[in-house]
Amino acid sequence: MKKLTIVILLFCMAALSNVWADDYSDAIVKAKKKLNEASNKDDKAALLKVRGDIERILQLKKNEWMVNYYLAVVDFMMSYRAIEEKNNDDIKKYTESSLALLDKSTDANDEFAEAWIMKMAVNSNRWIYDFQKMNEIIGKLTEAKDKAKKLDPDNPRYYLIDGTNSYYTPENFGGGVDIAMPLLEKSWDQFQTYKPKDETYPDWGKDQSAGMLALCYVKKEKLEDAKKWIDKALEMNPDSGFIKGYIMKEYEKAGGK
Amino acid sequence: MKTILSLFILSILWSFSSAQDTKISGKITGEDNKPLFGANVVIQGTIDGATSDLNGYYEFETSKAGDHVLLFTAIDYNEKKIAVIIEAGKPIEANAKLNKNEYETEEIIVTASSFTSGQQSQVTITPLEIVRIPGSDADLFRALTTFPGANQIDEGSRITVRGGDANEVLTILDQASLYNPFIFDDDFNTSSYTTINPWGLKGINFSSGGFSAKFGNALSAVLDLKSYDMPQGTGGFLWLGLANVGLSGVYLSKDKKFGATFDIGQTILEPYFMLNGYLIDSYNPIPRARGTGGTLSYKVGKSGTLKAIFDYSDDRIGVRNTSPSYDGFYNSTSKTFFGNIKFSTGLGSKSFLSAGLSYSHHKDGIEYGLLNTTSIEKYSKLRTDITYQLSSKVDLNFGGEYEYNEDSFDGKVPMLSYDLALNAPSFDINSKNHTGRIGGYLEAQTKPFKSFFIIAGLRTDYHSLSKKTVLDPRLSLGWKFAKDMVLRGAVGLYHQFPGLEYYAQTTNFELKPEQATHYILGYELDKMNGVFMFRVEGYYKDYKNLVLRDPNTFLYTSNGKGIAKGIDVFLKSTITNKYSTWISYAYTDSKRSQYENQKEVSANYDITHSLTFVASYNITDNITTGLTYRVSSGKPFTPITGSTFDSTYNVYQPMYGDANSERFPVYNRMDVNFQYLFSLFGRFAIAVFQINNVLNQKNLYDYTYNADYSIRKEIVTTNKRQFYLGLGVQF
Repeated sequence: MKKLTIVILLFCMAALSNVWADDYSDAIVKAKKKLNEASNKDDKAALLKVRGDIERILQLKKNEWMVNYYLAVVDFMMSYRAIEEKNNDDIKKYTESSLALLDKSTDANDEFAEAWIMKMAVNSNRWIYDFQKMNEIIGKLTEAKDKAKKLDPDNPRYYLIDGTNSYYTPENFGGGVDIAMPLLEKSWDQFQTYKPKDETYPDWGKDQSAGMLALCYVKKEKLEDAKKWIDKALEMNPDSGFIKGYIMKEYEKAGGK
Repeated sequence: MKTILSLFILSILWSFSSAQDTKISGKITGEDNKPLFGANVVIQGTIDGATSDLNGYYEFETSKAGDHVLLFTAIDYNEKKIAVIIEAGKPIEANAKLNKNEYETEEIIVTASSFTSGQQSQVTITPLEIVRIPGSDADLFRALTTFPGANQIDEGSRITVRGGDANEVLTILDQASLYNPFIFDDDFNTSSYTTINPWGLKGINFSSGGFSAKFGNALSAVLDLKSYDMPQGTGGFLWLGLANVGLSGVYLSKDKKFGATFDIGQTILEPYFMLNGYLIDSYNPIPRARGTGGTLSYKVGKSGTLKAIFDYSDDRIGVRNTSPSYDGFYNSTSKTFFGNIKFSTGLGSKSFLSAGLSYSHHKDGIEYGLLNTTSIEKYSKLRTDITYQLSSKVDLNFGGEYEYNEDSFDGKVPMLSYDLALNAPSFDINSKNHTGRIGGYLEAQTKPFKSFFIIAGLRTDYHSLSKKTVLDPRLSLGWKFAKDMVLRGAVGLYHQFPGLEYYAQTTNFELKPEQATHYILGYELDKMNGVFMFRVEGYYKDYKNLVLRDPNTFLYTSNGKGIAKGIDVFLKSTITNKYSTWISYAYTDSKRSQYENQKEVSANYDITHSLTFVASYNITDNITTGLTYRVSSGKPFTPITGSTFDSTYNVYQPMYGDANSERFPVYNRMDVNFQYLFSLFGRFAIAVFQINNVLNQKNLYDYTYNADYSIRKEIVTTNKRQFYLGLGVQF
């Protein structure tokens, strides 16, 4: 009997260690954590390193639509860096790559709302280098928005991206801060209750949502309110690169302390 | 318990010894052996791997052993696989050099004399640019005339290339030939417009010479248009303009397997004429054109698409014209139907087939003085094209087509071409002819070594009416000798069978196919994918067997010949996203003996110098302004030097000077436009305000004379300064 227990135990341990070494969920969760760190640090090398980690998860041939989604998120972050660096070649390179990955994701799983939400964000980049294809961009944005809204109407990231896009759209195009604010507020509210399906699902954006609200108040010259939202964001994510590297700077430029 | 523990420890030790880690490292490089930062390496089937650092180095450890494959990947590069045998504890060094994936640009690099638009990374013009070119009135053909090699005639949409007639330019839409994609075509002093909607096109390729063996029965140029297989989404567009209204819609089913589009439009010219001071009583009836069209697409299986297109348009117009023998309205009407059914599918992973069946019917009626004619042209065509990838370096294209053409011409024509008075002598014509043409081609597209391209093709056509066969070898080369620079050349034989109206005026249909030999050499500099583009191209064309009227028998022969030579220069630059501009200049020297011109004289559309400047500037994110300026040498014409009185018919007979020995004054025109993008009821909307011919330049359409030809009068084109307003809403 004793011997049998040992054999079973050993067998279980071996099986367990195998699972630990190669498990998809574990790999995704680890990558998500590293991605968060890298984006906070705004460190290109670290981002590229995580990108590699995520790309290798594709080899497990499991939920490739989810893996491609995270790769697209990294490429979108890279494109964002490129925008700040005014590096047009890289803006295009990473935007196109991100879009191709998101297409792969939605082709494999049409029901994954998060990928459509990302498409809303990434397609907006194309205004910078692909303005001539205006009709196509509008078409893609509208498609992504309709799909996302239909699949997951409670998703806070949907409102976050919709609000952010509106914020950067000129008023006479149907955008502006007044359109953006209710959307961002809705996003913030949804974040309080929204639960991802499991820990492999995306959960980013809470600090961005507070940060964007702060930015709206900066624009409205209500610096005290802006400060409140900055604090809320930092409470959530004390190292947030988005808040420290961008929102706080805008806040200080407007005279905030 | 003790045993359990010891076994536990043992098992751990065992696992350590058996799975001793192996270090794998190396360097990943890209073009010119430069290190690649952020490239990925992985042992296929595992998640063991690493990302390369700034110097391209990577290293990682793995517990795997045995035969494995290392997979290297990087954005914009082709993946690479390296097989390795991993032995525990024995480090492996694996270096990889990745190649940039350049396949997107190959297609364009080779073709000489061509201007393209589409989804490729290198395009010369986009649909939005077409719509935005001031003075082009959102007309695809007019937009193309801002490129060198193509000239606009009579300010309409017909394109002439390097001195030749407009009918030497073949327009192809998804394999079907479009013979009459115009409204107000061939009408007196009226601008024609094309009926092709630029938004429905995914690819536009205009080649003014040296084009592929795919295209037969075209002497000078090819405009190859490809429409989207499937609509891009669901929505609609409403256009309200001062001169025209239109509505279009697209639908794409949820499973993306079915798509449909439609558009309908009509001109309403009265308010436009009133605003711009046209004399309404010089028109009867006021010009009116309307049209409707649509497409249906259906996805068949994994890679197949079935697509049907149809288009119908009609127009009517009457323009007052005073000629030496008759004063009255030049009335014309036309009706055009076009339909095409296309099926395309992948055959395995290496070949692609598309087959199309098209039909077009065009009816044209003209009444002026005693002239009263009706002509009907019918075409039907069956075409199949196959592309087969023979190896990674060689693509084969081959295919065949059969085209049936029937023309009929009925009516009353003057006996003396210059006497159109109602009671002048005339005769009736009632003729009907038909012919078939069967053609085939084979073309190999090869890349023998990096940055060098060769396209060698051969095509043959047989014309059933004249029982003549042609054989056309064609060769096109491209050499990308530096990062941004391409040298291109093309040489080939081109044939076109004359239209049935010429065969009708021969004995025994004995016309030879018209022949041209093209020699082209060009250089292109393209910095940063079109941010700065410069092209220069020289060409020489040798023509033979052109249609020529025998002055004694008045029948047509194939004795005409000629040459065309010239230089095209094109410069395009996009400075930031705010400002873009292009300049084209073309020098042409084209001499032909053709039609009525017995000696080799300047061809009818020989425009010696032609310069076009186009610029657009985004004032703000939603206001754009643009300017087009064209200046070109006047068109040649044959002067009338005097007349003799013909007492038999009681009419003056003109005496002609040397053929095409004089030219119209220099042609000059500047157009500007403003576009404002805004939101209307939450929808994207665009408002357009344009002024054509801002400086109100007087350009000549033709000369006319008084009854005895002693006084020459100018006929000025109807394009004086014009204001236009339009509003479009996308929904």
